[in-house]
Amino acid sequence: VNAPTVPAPGPPRDATLPAPVERVLDNGLRVVAFAQRNLPLIAAQLVIRCGGAAEREDEAGLSALVAALLTQGTTTRGAMELAAAADALGARLDAASGYDASVVSVSATTPAFPAAFALLDEVARQPAFAPHEVERVRTKSISDLSLTYANPSALARLVSQRVAYAGAPYGHPVAGTVATLATLGRDRVAWFHERFYRPDDAVLVIGGDLEVDDAFALAERVLGSWRVPGPLPERPPFGEIPPPRSRVVIVDKPDSGRTALYSGRVTIERASPDYYAATVAVAVLSGYSGRLNQEIRVKRGLSYGAGAMLAVRRMPGLFLTSTLVDHARVVEATEVTAATIRSLAEAPATEDDLVTRKATVTGGFHRSIETIDGIAGTVAEHVLYDVPLAEINEYTRRVQAVDAASVCAFAARGLVPDDFVVLVGDASKFAAELGHTHADVRVIPFDTLDLGSPSLGG
Amino acid sequence: VTVPSTISASAIDVAPIRYVDRTLANGLRAILVRDPRVPSVAINVAYRVGGKDDPAGRSGFAHLFEHLMFKGTARTGPETIDRLTEDVGGFNNAFTTEDITNYYEVIPSNHLERLLWAEADRLAALVVNEENFVTERDVVIGEYDQRILAEPYGMLDELVNREAYAVHPYRRGVIGSPAELNAASLADVVAFHSTYYRPDNAVLVVAGDLDADATMGWIEAYFGAIATPPVPIPRVHAVEPEQTAERRYEYRAANAPLPASEEAYHIPDAAHPDAAALDVLETLLGGGRSSRLYTALVYQKQLASSTYASADLREQPGLFGVRVTCARGVALAQARAGLELELDRVRTQPPDEAELERVRTQIASAVVRSRQANNGVALTMVRAVTERGDPELVNGDLARYLAVTADDVLRVARTYLRPENRTVIEYLPQ
Repeated sequence: VNAPTVPAPGPPRDATLPAPVERVLDNGLRVVAFAQRNLPLIAAQLVIRCGGAAEREDEAGLSALVAALLTQGTTTRGAMELAAAADALGARLDAASGYDASVVSVSATTPAFPAAFALLDEVARQPAFAPHEVERVRTKSISDLSLTYANPSALARLVSQRVAYAGAPYGHPVAGTVATLATLGRDRVAWFHERFYRPDDAVLVIGGDLEVDDAFALAERVLGSWRVPGPLPERPPFGEIPPPRSRVVIVDKPDSGRTALYSGRVTIERASPDYYAATVAVAVLSGYSGRLNQEIRVKRGLSYGAGAMLAVRRMPGLFLTSTLVDHARVVEATEVTAATIRSLAEAPATEDDLVTRKATVTGGFHRSIETIDGIAGTVAEHVLYDVPLAEINEYTRRVQAVDAASVCAFAARGLVPDDFVVLVGDASKFAAELGHTHADVRVIPFDTLDLGSPSLGG
Repeated sequence: VTVPSTISASAIDVAPIRYVDRTLANGLRAILVRDPRVPSVAINVAYRVGGKDDPAGRSGFAHLFEHLMFKGTARTGPETIDRLTEDVGGFNNAFTTEDITNYYEVIPSNHLERLLWAEADRLAALVVNEENFVTERDVVIGEYDQRILAEPYGMLDELVNREAYAVHPYRRGVIGSPAELNAASLADVVAFHSTYYRPDNAVLVVAGDLDADATMGWIEAYFGAIATPPVPIPRVHAVEPEQTAERRYEYRAANAPLPASEEAYHIPDAAHPDAAALDVLETLLGGGRSSRLYTALVYQKQLASSTYASADLREQPGLFGVRVTCARGVALAQARAGLELELDRVRTQPPDEAELERVRTQIASAVVRSRQANNGVALTMVRAVTERGDPELVNGDLARYLAVTADDVLRVARTYLRPENRTVIEYLPQ
């Protein structure tokens, strides 16, 4: 090897995605199409602009149950026949639900796509919701919950959502609870589908190996007959999000191997002009070389790893840090986490550090758009959150434009003040000591924890 | 409007992968594929050393080396590759198979030269000392405990290799034996490194946003100066004798939630003309919920909770595996009887044209999808070179699959899925 040290990187290059084009069908369905013809593949995502946030507190899990059942049979074929039809086309057909949306997606090679798109139409518009399938999926959802609750990190995330949002729509678990799932049957599933799956509150993203005009023609041919079922029901006002409040909520679960430590607060919505500063701020905390992992793992050996994330939503989303620590070191890790979050507002990142942290953001973005499904997902995210489509090709530039001062300024407003702490672990090892330094500490025994309640029961 | 519900797989067409293929004076083979859509690039460096090449009495060495390659060099500290990738928005990893050890990085394209430097550096100047060796040996043994001993059915793959091969070193698997790893010395490890980690035993593929001339220039500059030892690389020449009678092995495991079995049939190597038909047979039996095994055993007769078929085509003759895990309350003999009916069917009747078209469409669609991400393209090229000896084969694969006929499927099923050509592992709860 000639060079004794690693050579310098070259100037970064930007990505240019095919520009998406939008049209609205007569039935109100927004169609966003893009052409990228390097491979014979086409993808479509039908984004229904209603998900878990639209369901009632006492029916948590309904939108997820509806989505899971779409591919389990239609009025003309059963679950196995649907799977066989997709296989025969070499297609991938899926449906899933989050807080803000329910998404039915399909992808296939170019010659198979028209038939695969007809499958998407069939599962979205004519699901059977056969009683035995409803029962089977519901039973499986309930048994999956016990796996989730056995994992301290997964449980801490669910508790964090309740602590952050209480009774506001992002507070309840989108997968439901044992109690809410037990009350849900075919009638409510069919009701949710009939009420919310409608063309005038949905967006179809379609793109890949076809011209945009052909994409619009296909959308019109297949989904143009989708009738609007009466006037759009008024969207109920989004429940009031409680103001962030500094406090500690402990779920006492002595059988967890280690304690999950989560901290954070409600912050901005996806469409906020602060989104890029927030994304870079979270990147300064995240990853192996991010501040949290440096302080918690590298300098102090408190955990195998620590990181932060930003849950992007239509309404103000959630900023969360996470780590998993030995029960005996929870107090120290809690203080280090709080100090590290505070450092975002107080200690500006150096230029070198900022360059690499921003590179983790743009690099991840570029990798996500290597595939047609990835591009369709990015386009769908922009549409769902009312972000102008033109911003897709400005993503890299906007991330690069964030400087250290704007990270500090945003963190001081939107990330640092009044963070909550959620701990899931053996409370006997740390609850009393935390009481000395924190004014508001609440301990909830795992057996009395109720994720279905805005106050978490107990 | 009616849309036909099936298509002809022959309608699926994909442009050939265009590439630059050059072998340096020191024997390193470099292949470049340009796709500038996204400013990202994937590097794969495959060394032609895998589980089958482990020295006798030292199984697990190739895999142990995969770990040691991350421990730093004369010029860099440990985790250099992690920092050069993760800190700039990329990632890296490595894996070891029976035939190769493959290292890969996906990075923003302006970092390509840095990672080529780092890959050349760890080939030329890896630090193998007692401390690294002992630490990583413990990590590998921990991985063995976790993946092989603790995971349900974790020992099954190991048993399949060990019992199906009588003489070929494929019988040792990849992860190796903790006893043999513990018996190894630093001198063994150093000797292994100098034997196999050399430019003429490496295939370097770069795919993505690259300039071919600049990239080849960097490869020449950083890899070209690494000397090739004058001694030849040892190769495996063992030939597995033809199996003439079924072998059976029963294993009682603490972590077998339900009884399971695998039948492993000897098949030829990945470059053999029957390879495409064997892949078609795999998908016919085990590809998706409309496959024969899932439909008959899981859905209709409810004898199995899961089924699996795999044409494990390797550089040297491999195995066709058929696995069944019982449904709750079903005895293994019952589930295997149901499986045997399906295998009899595939050995005696050609598939009808509609079913074959479905399978061809599934395979052709998978080929197209594998071309999307740079790292998938790079790995496809690595496998073509190391398992089949020619990167150009990737551009004929689609046509080869489409040319497989019903009679070809019947013929390979008859030729290879014979009871006397198989080893049956019964994996039972204690």
